[in-house]
Amino acid sequence: MDEVIIVINPGSTSTKMALFQGTEKVAEAAVSHPADELDQFENVADQFELRMRNIDEWLDQHLLENVKVTAVAGRGARLCPLDSGAYGINDRMLQDLHAMKYSNHAGNLGAIIADFLGRRFGVPAIIYDPITVDGFNACARISGVPEIERVCRSHALNIREICRRQAEAVGAGFAEVNFVAAHLGGGISVAAVEKGRIVDVNDALLGMGPFSTERAGALPIGPLVDLAYSGGYTRKELINKLSRESGLKAYLGESDLRRIEAMIDAGDEKAALYFHAMVYQVAKEIGACVVALKGNLQAIVITGGMARSERLVNTLREYISFLGPVSVVPGEFEMEALAAGARRVLAGQEIIKEY
Amino acid sequence: MDEVIIVVNPGSTSTKLALFRREEKIAEGEVRHDAEELAAYDNVADQFEMRMHTIDRWLKDQDIEQKQVVAVVGRGAPLKPLEGGAYNISEEMLLDVKDMRYSNHASNLGAIIADYLGRRYKVPSMIVDPITIDNFTDLARVSGFPGIERKCRSHALNIKAVCRRVAVEAGHRLREVNFIAAHLGGGISIAAIERGRIIDVNDGLLGMGPFSPNRAGALPIGALVKLAYSGTYSEADLTRRLSAESGLQGYLGESDLRQVEKMIEAGDKKAVLYYRAMIYQVAKEICACAGVLKGDFYAVVITGGMAKSERLVTTLKEYISFLGRVVVIPGEFEMEALAAGAVRVIDGTEIPKDY
Repeated sequence: MDEVIIVINPGSTSTKMALFQGTEKVAEAAVSHPADELDQFENVADQFELRMRNIDEWLDQHLLENVKVTAVAGRGARLCPLDSGAYGINDRMLQDLHAMKYSNHAGNLGAIIADFLGRRFGVPAIIYDPITVDGFNACARISGVPEIERVCRSHALNIREICRRQAEAVGAGFAEVNFVAAHLGGGISVAAVEKGRIVDVNDALLGMGPFSTERAGALPIGPLVDLAYSGGYTRKELINKLSRESGLKAYLGESDLRRIEAMIDAGDEKAALYFHAMVYQVAKEIGACVVALKGNLQAIVITGGMARSERLVNTLREYISFLGPVSVVPGEFEMEALAAGARRVLAGQEIIKEY
Repeated sequence: MDEVIIVVNPGSTSTKLALFRREEKIAEGEVRHDAEELAAYDNVADQFEMRMHTIDRWLKDQDIEQKQVVAVVGRGAPLKPLEGGAYNISEEMLLDVKDMRYSNHASNLGAIIADYLGRRYKVPSMIVDPITIDNFTDLARVSGFPGIERKCRSHALNIKAVCRRVAVEAGHRLREVNFIAAHLGGGISIAAIERGRIIDVNDGLLGMGPFSPNRAGALPIGALVKLAYSGTYSEADLTRRLSAESGLQGYLGESDLRQVEKMIEAGDKKAVLYYRAMIYQVAKEICACAGVLKGDFYAVVITGGMAKSERLVTTLKEYISFLGRVVVIPGEFEMEALAAGAVRVIDGTEIPKDY
C-alpha cells in the first residue's frame, strides 16, 4: 500500500494541495474557492467548511483506495515567536487562530484544515516553520527606540528548506554552516541563517530592508513621521499604502516583474531605474546580513519567484559576488518543505514541538 | 609677517576658531557663548553680533593685527544639494542661511562670519564641503515610496578629510580610490565614497542606518507609523524623541560613551547589550556600503569621537574585519579640513565654486 503525506497551503482565494509519496510529489493543485463566498466571512477561520467542500472534492479524486495517509502538514500562519521546526496542532494554537490573535490571513486555515484531516485519518498533523520562526540574536531585536522592538518574521519555510538543501549538497549538516538567504517574491526577506537559525532578517511586511514590487521597506524616519502627521492619511490608509501600494507598483504603476522587464526592454528608463534601485537595496541588505555572520558563510542563496529573472540575478551578482559564492534557486518550495518536515518527523529525525 | 588662514566653526553653544599657517595649526580655541543669551534668538543667524564680540576678543588675543590674514574659511551649513569642494560666499548663500531656508543650525553662522571677516581683512572667504554635499547616484535617491526621497546629508567635511589622508598616505589621490567611511560621533554617518564622491550615506539625522548615542536610525516602518498615530506624541515630541532621546540615551538614560563604558565595566548587562547593538547596526551599515561599491574599496575608515574608544573599535572589527583593511582615525578634523580646503584654493589647485 502506498503511503502519502497530505500538504495544505491556503492562499487568499485558493488552497494549494499536494500529495507526496516519499520525496515525490504525486499530485498537486491549487483548489480555487468562489471569491464572493469567501468574502462573506470576516474571520478567515470561518471559511473552513466552505474550503473543505472543495478540498474534499479534490481529495476524493486524488486519494486512491490503495493509499494510506501517514501525516498531514499545513502551512504555519503568523503565531507567537517560535523556534523553527514542526509543531503539533493543539487547542492553544487553534484558539489563537480562531481568535485572529496574530493575524487574519488565509494561512490561519493551514493548521485548522491539517488538524481536521489528521483526525479524520488518525495520523499526526503538523505545521512547519511558520512565518514567526524566531532565531534572532539579542542585538537583532534592538531597533534604536525603546518603544519599538525588531521582530523576526520571514519566509522561513522556503528559506530554511533551500538552505538545508544547500548544506546537504555540500555534504554539511544544516546545523553546521551559515548562509545569507534572499527570498525575492511579492515580499522580500533577506536573512542571516546561522547554523539553521534565522539570527537576523529585515521583516518584509512593514519592517525594514529593501522595497519590493508592492511594499515599502525601510524609509527615512523623519519624512515618514511627517507623512503620518500630514493629515493626508488615516493610519489604516498609510499602512495600506506602505504594504500594498509602494515599491515598483507605486513608481511604475505595475508590480508584475515580467511586465516591468518588458517595459525596460522597450526602452523605458524610469522602469530601468526603479528595477535597478530595488536590486540595489536587496544587495545592501545582503551585505548587512553578511555582517550578522561576521563574514563566515557557505553561500548567498537567492530564491523566490523573482529569482527567475536573469536580469535581476545578473544585476544582483554584480553587487554581491565579492561576498562569496552565490547560488540561485528560483521559485518557492513551500509544499516540498512542508512534506520534508513531515517526513523527518515520521522518520524520527525531528520531534514534534508543542505550541 | 606671518600669513594665516582664519578658520571658523560655529557650534550650538560655542564657536571653534583656529589659525593655520598653511596646513599647520598655530592656534586653536573654542570660545563659549552664553547659552541663555543665544537662546534669546529664534534665528541663529541673529546671534552674529553677539558671537562676533567673543570671537574678536579671541582674535585680539592671538595678535591678529601682527599677522597677515590670507583667507577666511567657515563651516558650511545645510544648504541646497551641492557638489563637494570650496564655495565662494555669495549673496544668495547668505540669504538662504539668514532665511533658515534649509535649517536653523549654528553652522549657518559659518558663512556669515567668514564673509564678514573676509571683508574686514579684504581677503577671500569661503566655505568647504558643507553638510549637504550631494553626489548620490539616482539609485541611492530611491526610497521605495514615491513621496519620500533619500537625502545625501553627512559629516562630509570630516569624512572627506580622513579619506583624503588615508589615500595620500597610501600614495593615491582621493579621486583614484574608493572608501567606506564611518563617522561615529553624536550623529553617525556611514558613507560609500567612490573616487572622492559620497554616492550613498545613511543620513544620520532622522534618516536611516544605525542608531547613535542619542538618535534613532532606521526603524520598522509599521511600528513607527503606529507610534505616530498612537496619540502619545505630537509631531514635535516624536521628532525630538527620535532625534535627541533615542539610541543609548533612550535605552540607558545616558548618551556619553565614556559613561556607558563605565556602566559596562561595573557589570551593567543592559549597557553591554545596547552598546553592542549600536556597534552591530554600524557594522551592518558598513557592509551595506560595501555592497554599494561592489566590494571595490581600498579601506574602511573609522573616524569621529567614538572611534577613540578601543572597546568600540575592537568590537566593530569583530564584525567587519572580513571586509579587508580597516583604518581608524579617531576624532574630528573639521578645522584641518577647512584649512586644507583654503590652502588648495590659495594654491590654485582648486577653484572655488559659485553657489
